[in-house]
Amino acid sequence: MTADLNSYLFVGAVLFVCGVVCMATKRNGIGVLMGVELVLNGANVNFVAFSRYTDLGLDGQIFSLFVIVLAAAEAAVALAIALNFYNNHLTIDVDRANKLKG
Amino acid sequence: MLFPQLLDKLITETTSLSLPGFSVELCLSATIVAMLMMRLVNLDRLVPASVTAVLGAFAALVFTWLQFRQIGAADAIVSQKIFTGLLIHDTFTVFFRAFLSLFLLLTIALTSLTGIPDNEDGPDFYSLLFGATIGLMIMASANSLLMLFVGVEMASVPSYAMVGFLKGRKPSSEAALKFVVYGAGAAGVMLYGISLIAGVLGTADMSLLADRLGAAAAGGSGGLSDPELRAVSLGILLVMVGLAFKLSLVPFHFWCPDAFEGASAEVAGFLSVASKAGAFGLLVRFALALSGAPGTESLMIAFGVGIGFIACVTTTFGNLAAYSQTNLKRLLAYSTIAHAGYMVMAVSALLVMSNSVNAAAMQVDINHSVEGLLYYLFVYLFMNLGAFAVVAIARNHTFSEEVDSFKGLVSQSPTLCIVMLICMFSLVGMPPFGGFVGKLMIFASAFKAGDVHWFMYVVVAFGALNTVFSLVYYIRVLKTMFMDVRPVDARPVPVHLGSLESIYVVALAAFVFLLGVLPQFLSATAGAAAQSLAKF
Repeated sequence: MTADLNSYLFVGAVLFVCGVVCMATKRNGIGVLMGVELVLNGANVNFVAFSRYTDLGLDGQIFSLFVIVLAAAEAAVALAIALNFYNNHLTIDVDRANKLKG
Repeated sequence: MLFPQLLDKLITETTSLSLPGFSVELCLSATIVAMLMMRLVNLDRLVPASVTAVLGAFAALVFTWLQFRQIGAADAIVSQKIFTGLLIHDTFTVFFRAFLSLFLLLTIALTSLTGIPDNEDGPDFYSLLFGATIGLMIMASANSLLMLFVGVEMASVPSYAMVGFLKGRKPSSEAALKFVVYGAGAAGVMLYGISLIAGVLGTADMSLLADRLGAAAAGGSGGLSDPELRAVSLGILLVMVGLAFKLSLVPFHFWCPDAFEGASAEVAGFLSVASKAGAFGLLVRFALALSGAPGTESLMIAFGVGIGFIACVTTTFGNLAAYSQTNLKRLLAYSTIAHAGYMVMAVSALLVMSNSVNAAAMQVDINHSVEGLLYYLFVYLFMNLGAFAVVAIARNHTFSEEVDSFKGLVSQSPTLCIVMLICMFSLVGMPPFGGFVGKLMIFASAFKAGDVHWFMYVVVAFGALNTVFSLVYYIRVLKTMFMDVRPVDARPVPVHLGSLESIYVVALAAFVFLLGVLPQFLSATAGAAAQSLAKF
């Protein structure tokens, strides 16, 4: 059985929704960042599938390569900030980030 | 074409066209390398990083001036794709490069006056600042959906780090965490939107989007019942989420007050002015890339009206939430949200007018809406940076950014107070300051767009009403500064008229005033930049 474009898009959409749900429900800062990675990879699946089946061509694959690099850069900065937060608050629970409000 | 010929063509194009067009960004990149290398060999003890940074930013400004001269020549090509069509080099791009380099120079001057960062951290901080600025320039010159995403990420990632730059302070780390979590989420959502647009339309080139959209609409009904258009509309909506986050539009504004309160006032000024400007450049390019496709006019006008609605909600929310603030940076954050709303009104007018049936006849008005936005951005640079600079300078003496710490400040440093008065009156939009001219231009173009869709009249009404709302909380701050008596135990703020700090803020205030009384110079340049985007 060969897969068509829609099956890949379905996988991408499932990853995207899982990522968004993960971002919205996780209270652990690292968990939220994992949700972000899921969303980015959902988009990557889309890009690669589109590059195989539509006019997008190689642009799609270049896109996903760029996204992988950018995701790594973003994760590095985000983890550094999470560590900085942990050093100051001794927790990584995003609900405890509640001093600034109003 | 054979491979060697292709390679030859690529090399000639890159060296003769792309690299000169990219000289400003290259200059900033070289400065980053220079600053980091100088620390490696301990040269930064002799020449502080701030000096290198000022030189780099000044060189960038000189390069933009050269580009202005080149592109302003009589027979010059005003719009040129560079790097095989990934970026676009036109007057609009050069305008944003000039704006961002000028702002960079002013920010570095402010940071060296107020001493954040110290000598040890200087190279790190300025590298982040320069990196973010390059990202913002790429955003303003993007011609490909790939560059759209790369630009947004390049601008965001250093900003996260800059917000958390005050190490060991709880509010700073909390602000950075909130910013990075929301920011990364918004970027991911935006990327998914980009994948839908690029995939369904089969191209990442933004100059082709409108044609492909028209082709997609031609087969179906042109409305949302067409599955292709539905996927693209979802994509546009998701990209708008990412841009709305960068612009801190309601309902994606949560990060803004927290990030501003936790970050130092200098960084808050950067986020409030430069980051918004880059995002507006990108929003204008994105909106224009999707406009004008036959068969999708009503859909795009609906998007324009939707943005107008968001603009109304954003200004109203920003102004109402600012009332109860006791922290001045937080108050300015809500004022930033409100001002993003005013400026988005211009984009909404732009979208509505460029998709009307007689868009070609309205080209002059379309240009005016972009011109108004660019003018407002430039005035906003001076008035908002002025306000943040006063906060930063006073903080260095009082160690506080609460509104109460400014009580009766006029008795000790009248210069700071008068500059704050000018900046705030300009933020309200009172003549004869620059904010008035900018607001007038934006409201005028939104009113003109009312001919196409009645909702734009509502947008103008909300804008005018909000101008009145905003008066109250600005006046409250000014009343605290001018009318209240300074408490005996308050720390003194001795900033004299001759000090460097005073000269700096007075210069900013002078520009706010000049842009109010002599609008023709800047508006001619902004008009040329808007003209280079024109489709007809």
